[in-house]
Amino acid sequence: MNTSGNTPGDDMPDFSNVESGASSTAKEAAPAYKLYTIKSGDSLSRIAKHEYGNANDWRRIFEANQDTIKDPDKIFPGQEIKIPL
Amino acid sequence: MSAIKPLAVAVIAAALVLSMSACNKKEESVALPAPAPVPAAVPAPDVINVPVSVKQVTLSNKIDETTRQAAVAMNTFASGDTIYAVVETIGSGKTAIKSLWTYHKGDKTAQVNEAVQEIDAVGPASTEFHISKPDGWPTGDYQVEVFVNGTSVNVQKFTVK
Repeated sequence: MNTSGNTPGDDMPDFSNVESGASSTAKEAAPAYKLYTIKSGDSLSRIAKHEYGNANDWRRIFEANQDTIKDPDKIFPGQEIKIPL
Repeated sequence: MSAIKPLAVAVIAAALVLSMSACNKKEESVALPAPAPVPAAVPAPDVINVPVSVKQVTLSNKIDETTRQAAVAMNTFASGDTIYAVVETIGSGKTAIKSLWTYHKGDKTAQVNEAVQEIDAVGPASTEFHISKPDGWPTGDYQVEVFVNGTSVNVQKFTVK
C-alpha cells in the first residue's frame, strides 16, 4: 500500500493520501510501482516518509530509480520517478 | 409319401431363403439417417501466441484474491470503498500495464493515482489495480484509464456517491 503524492488543485479535493496497490496472476516481470512527479522541496527521504511512513526507506526508492537517479541528493522538480508499491 | 417329403423340405427351404432374402432387401432399402454434419473446424482464437492485449476492464469493490477476478462489476461506489480495476488480458510477453485514476469536476481534472504493473504473461492473465482513501472518497465523477506499453486501451468511468 502506498500513498499518492499529488497535491490538490485550486478547488479540487486532496488525493495525496490515496493508497494503492497492484498484483497479477501473471508472472510479475518487476514489482509494481507508482509514478510520482518530483515537486519543489522534495527529497527521497521526505517522499519515503510520506509513502512508507519511514524516511529511512529512501533507499528503496533510490534503488528502483537507479536508471535515472545517479545521486540520491540530486532530484529535480518535474522529474518522474518510480515508487515501489 | 417318401418322395413328397424331400420335395416339401426343398420347397420350405426355398421359401425360407426367399423370405430371408426379402428381409435383407427390406433392411437395405431402409434409408439410414444422414450423419449429422460435422461443423467446420473453427480454430479457437489464439490467446497465447499473440502480443498482450486487453480483453476487458472491470471495476468492483471486491475481488477474488486468487483469481484476481472482480466479484461483481460496478460503476458506482461508496465513499469508504476500496476500488479495484481488474484488467483481463490475453497474449504473451513482457508488458507494462498502467492505470491512471483521475477525478473530474466540471472541466477540471485531478490526478488520483498512477501505477504500473509489469508482467511477463504466458496466455490469459488478470491484473488488478486498487486504490483506497483513508478519509473517504470525495463524491463525484472519476475515471480510470488503462495503458498497455504506453498506449491507452480502455477507459472506465465511475461515480462515488
